[in-house]
Amino acid sequence: MIEVQHLTKRYGRVTAVDDVSFRVERGEILGFLGPNGAGKTTTMRILTGYIPASEGRATVAGYDVFDQPIEAKRRTGYLPETPPLYPDMTVREYLDFVARIKGVAAAERRTRVDAVIQRTHIDDMATRHCGKLSKGYRQRVGLAQAILHNPEVLILDEPTAGLDPKQIIETRDLIRGLGGDHTIVLSTHILPEVSQTCQRVVIINKGRVVAVDTPENLTARLQGAETLYVEVDAGGADVPTALTAVPGVTRVAAADTRPGSGAFEVESERGRDVRRELARDIVTRGWGLLELRPMRMSLEEVFLQVTTEEPAAEEAPRA
Amino acid sequence: MRNIIAIADKELRSYFASPIAYIIIGFFALPFGVFFYLYLEAFLRQSMQMAQFGGNLNVNQQVIRLVLQNASVIILFVMPMITMRTYAEEKRSGTIELLLTSPVTDFQIIVGKFLGALGLYIAMLLVTLLYVAILFVYGHPEWRPLVAAYLGLLLMGGAFLSVGLFISSTTNNQIVAGMVSFVVFLLLWIVGWFADSAGATVGPITSYLSITEHFEDFSKGVIDTKHVLYYVSLITFGLFLTAKSVDSERWRG
Ligand SMILES: Nc1ncnc2c1ncn2[C@@H]1O[C@H](COP(=O)(O)OP(=O)(O)OP(=O)(O)O)[C@@H](O)[C@H]1O
Ligand SMILES: [Mg+2]
Repeated sequence: MIEVQHLTKRYGRVTAVDDVSFRVERGEILGFLGPNGAGKTTTMRILTGYIPASEGRATVAGYDVFDQPIEAKRRTGYLPETPPLYPDMTVREYLDFVARIKGVAAAERRTRVDAVIQRTHIDDMATRHCGKLSKGYRQRVGLAQAILHNPEVLILDEPTAGLDPKQIIETRDLIRGLGGDHTIVLSTHILPEVSQTCQRVVIINKGRVVAVDTPENLTARLQGAETLYVEVDAGGADVPTALTAVPGVTRVAAADTRPGSGAFEVESERGRDVRRELARDIVTRGWGLLELRPMRMSLEEVFLQVTTEEPAAEEAPRA
Repeated sequence: MRNIIAIADKELRSYFASPIAYIIIGFFALPFGVFFYLYLEAFLRQSMQMAQFGGNLNVNQQVIRLVLQNASVIILFVMPMITMRTYAEEKRSGTIELLLTSPVTDFQIIVGKFLGALGLYIAMLLVTLLYVAILFVYGHPEWRPLVAAYLGLLLMGGAFLSVGLFISSTTNNQIVAGMVSFVVFLLLWIVGWFADSAGATVGPITSYLSITEHFEDFSKGVIDTKHVLYYVSLITFGLFLTAKSVDSERWRG
């Protein structure tokens, strides 16, 4: 549904997007994940036809965004980073205007506007001026505007930015509900968002695609260093020193900050399972093995790893 | 066409949604009224004297023409207020991103914005027609020269608006847009002053460039295609420059 091939965008000497390629299938929700300045907004602006690419091409719903911009735009809904609202218009007037320029037929306009007002829960604000809305409501009106003409493709730039926790959940539900009928690309640097809403993730850093996969696979694939959670009853003995001596173990750290606790995080070499050795060692020392399990890395750690493992990424911001 | 109307309609509404439209109309209608009153009074005094000697004066030449010539100067001051926000404000607030990612062409956006601004300008002219109506109540002015004069005002205003639209499209600061427009409009006006002193070759050129110079004949009630052509070309040129500016902005990001 969306096809991006070797997209590059340069601003003077800054390369904001560097040879980015990916595909999004019909009905899929794709997460675009990257730290500040990674090039998420720039890529989305190219996909929506707001700016042209320096190199490469992109098609949306089969139409080249550069050669057939009007056809592509007809099929695209876009929520920019800052919701594009006119402060002097009421929410309803605004949505009515958007419906007109998006080509919604006059006869359907009213029902469409009503439908998106319902769907994004902005009924209370329908007669309020856009300039007087809170950040969260501006974001929702922005979303309402994006889905107004029922486009096949939705490009959402940080759709949950500035929302309160309840609204975040509502918005994620809304986006998940839109998936299937719509093909969605959403950007975020909030990691749990991706695992909760997206079927696939593109991780981008400094303009380059670092990884493309499902959230589950990414977690598994990038689980380079295995981390185990170990809880022992050692009766006051020096556990870290003893466990570090086990072959394959690279690092042992207290998993609990309370002194005297027997919980530790044990890291081992990449791809090496040290559970058997570890258990044997603990038992032969006569300690009580209370718990031993692999720690599943959160996507947050995956992400940090991905962006910091790149050679050029030594100063990547810690998300 | 539907898109052009949608954008023109939105522009026009946005003027009237804020106090801007009323301030602009007031800025125009008040001085217009003052000039109108002064010239009318002078005219009445004169015609009273003339009547004693059996002569006759022409309302069109003595009142309407003079008032409208002065109006062209007021227009110069008011026009930057109409055009300064058009693009600059959309760029500052980011709403330009909505327009440029909607299935509408640059041409439709530009013409829509131009027509919206022209709509407000027409509203201004309609208010002044109320004054003119007074003349019809108390006298018998000819309506043909009046139509010509208003057509001239419309064309001249359109030319200002189109140039102002271009200037607004080059910045995201509406104050800058307003001030630059004002200076440019002023230059387009005073360049005609040098016509007499500029000599035989440069003189006609400066006089040709002057935007208000071309209004002279209209104010006398004469529609000369030469002048119509001048204004229409200027309008087209302004809109063309706007299109270029919007497009180059896109490439620069
Ligand atoms: N109009 C512009 N002119 C010059 N450089 C730009 C412009 N827009 C973006 N950039 C640069 O391009 C790079 C990518 O920016 P972009 O806005 O795409 O990042 P992002 O991933 O959306 O970041 P964020 O998470 O902060 O929104 C940045 O280095 C930025 O400074
Ligand atoms: Mg961004």
